[in-house]
Amino acid sequence: MIRRGCAVLGMAVLTAACASTRAAREPQPQPEPAKARQSQDLVALLRDPGTGAVGRAVVSNAHGQVELTQARESTRVGADAAPTPPVLLTEEEAERLFGDVLETLPPAPRHFTLYFKFESEELTDESRRLVEDVVREVKNRPVPDVIAIGHTDTTGGARSNVQLGLRRANAVRTLLVGAGLSASAVAVASHGEAELLVGTADGVYEPKNRRVEITVR
Amino acid sequence: MRIYLSIAAGLVVLSLAIPAAAETATPAGRIKTVSGEAFIVHAGQTSPATIGHEVFESDRVRTGNDGRIGLTLQDDTRVAIGPRSEVAVDSFSYAPAEGSLGLALKFVQGVAVYVSGKIAKLAPDAVRLETPAAIVGVRGTTVALNVGAD
Repeated sequence: MIRRGCAVLGMAVLTAACASTRAAREPQPQPEPAKARQSQDLVALLRDPGTGAVGRAVVSNAHGQVELTQARESTRVGADAAPTPPVLLTEEEAERLFGDVLETLPPAPRHFTLYFKFESEELTDESRRLVEDVVREVKNRPVPDVIAIGHTDTTGGARSNVQLGLRRANAVRTLLVGAGLSASAVAVASHGEAELLVGTADGVYEPKNRRVEITVR
Repeated sequence: MRIYLSIAAGLVVLSLAIPAAAETATPAGRIKTVSGEAFIVHAGQTSPATIGHEVFESDRVRTGNDGRIGLTLQDDTRVAIGPRSEVAVDSFSYAPAEGSLGLALKFVQGVAVYVSGKIAKLAPDAVRLETPAAIVGVRGTTVALNVGAD
């Protein structure tokens, strides 16, 4: 590095002076950005924009760590020191810093669980009424992703339950298509009896496990 | 055995349902909101970010002076970035039935908000938010970052 610097400078300036005062002779602009700016990151915990829930965040680097536990608690951290102790941002500061980007967040995904009659692909009456809600939610979104995942209880074999779960997911897709969605917009899958909503032993009749879970993103 | 069968069935069905994704893995998510100067970098190629654009593991999104981008990932994680910002989806894995869960986001610069999804719920330690100066571990919900805040 030094050598190359000397060589370059040597062409423009006096070669003799190069070795002793390299720093002084290098072109002035180009300070190393990280050192010159002491760049820091600000990390803040916020209230969930939809539910209002507040979680927790732990900010750490090689020099230490800080835990944020309250809404609008924040820490500043650079590469050369531990994160600062938590500082509470005011509502105004949080809004000024993050209000705009919060508005850019896509809408929260929504979940619907539809239940089925025993060993059938027919929805319970109550769940049937939810279909319109699902369609409305999908149509409210500019670029929706919809996935229907079928689940069963533990009666019957695992393998046939994968098939049953799939038939259920497809049945839901058919209903959604009948209610106005295009078939290609709805992905289907089956988890069979592998993801019970209510944990049971094998061979147990459990209406809450016979379901299709729909996620609309 | 049961698990394998159900996974296999699930994958077959998914691949049939989403033919557009057949060329590679399933996408990690999609761009849901976008405005202004906004770009996505996929396999080294930068292209304008458009609404509905798929986002894969290892992709990054970037904005210019007036740009904004919002993403929703398959596990319901949401990320938004403001102007002059960049975030990389370094890794993403969401296959609960296989026990494969992981999310690493690198906030390279600018302003961003992260809202946790199912990965954070099922395996909080599998979520890693990275800035140039620190690592943020998340126990649910919403974290805002200003990278290079001074």
